[in-house]
Amino acid sequence: MGFVQHGGFTLERTYSASPARVFAAFSTKEGKSRWFNCFGELEEAEVELDFREGGRELNRLKPPGRPPHVMQGLYHHIVPNERFVLSFTLHIGERLISVSLMTVEVFQEGAGARLVVNEHGAFFEEGALAEREEGTAVGLDRLAGLLAEDDRS
Amino acid sequence: MTERTAVHDTFRIERHYPARPERVWKALSDKDAKARWFAGPSGEWDLLEHTFDFRVGGHERALGRFASGVESDFNGWIHDIVDGERIVTAYTMHIDGRQISVSLGTMEIGPAEGGTRLVYTEQAVFLDGQDNVDQRREGTEELLDALGRSLSED
Repeated sequence: MGFVQHGGFTLERTYSASPARVFAAFSTKEGKSRWFNCFGELEEAEVELDFREGGRELNRLKPPGRPPHVMQGLYHHIVPNERFVLSFTLHIGERLISVSLMTVEVFQEGAGARLVVNEHGAFFEEGALAEREEGTAVGLDRLAGLLAEDDRS
Repeated sequence: MTERTAVHDTFRIERHYPARPERVWKALSDKDAKARWFAGPSGEWDLLEHTFDFRVGGHERALGRFASGVESDFNGWIHDIVDGERIVTAYTMHIDGRQISVSLGTMEIGPAEGGTRLVYTEQAVFLDGQDNVDQRREGTEELLDALGRSLSED
């Protein structure tokens, strides 16, 4: 049997933005594109997000001089503005890095929102799970910065 | 109205079958061979619809009805296949139209002394308290036992 590490993580954040705004940062192509890219400059980017149960997502991001990172997702469960569950694969070039299940929950907290992101999956390379948790944490912090910027403008 | 909860849990089951890996793989990947074990309790559950498109990106559906009239609806989508070794499937379960869970199931098989070792890992989220990991593990153990029986019937 080949290398498989099963595991996952849960990340929590609180934002001053409303649950609806936080939810839109995940459920719309425009919202997600703002924080999801962790590479900065891109040579190519292709994003599709069909946010409905049974709908698919594609994020194909190619940083300069590196193979494309391709996330392909499928939405299994949606309660608007509250939670959703998707499964997705990540390929780097031709290599399958992981298959995982992600649950995103958004709760009202005071005037703002509390976000809980849970990801569990099968990771096919050593270190891939730790890297995923780190990358996701950085993305959620980037989102915090963007939401705060929107509040100021 | 039920309270909204999302409970995450994981379980792992190992089985040893006195059959060659090729036969176990067939029971996992062939529609007719799978239908012999992937079912509710015999005599208490009828299969109403089974589709199985075994390829990466393919969909599987097993819709059934218990004698009580309750309908169970399994929908799986295959994310990864390593021929003869591994299948990773995301699946949802609905009972009477209510979604009770979303899971990621990794099925791995390999040769072992006298037959085949199978390791199944499921990472699940149970929605609104409508199912739990103990029930799911128990149900899956019964299925994998039925898989073993289906191999010895040949």
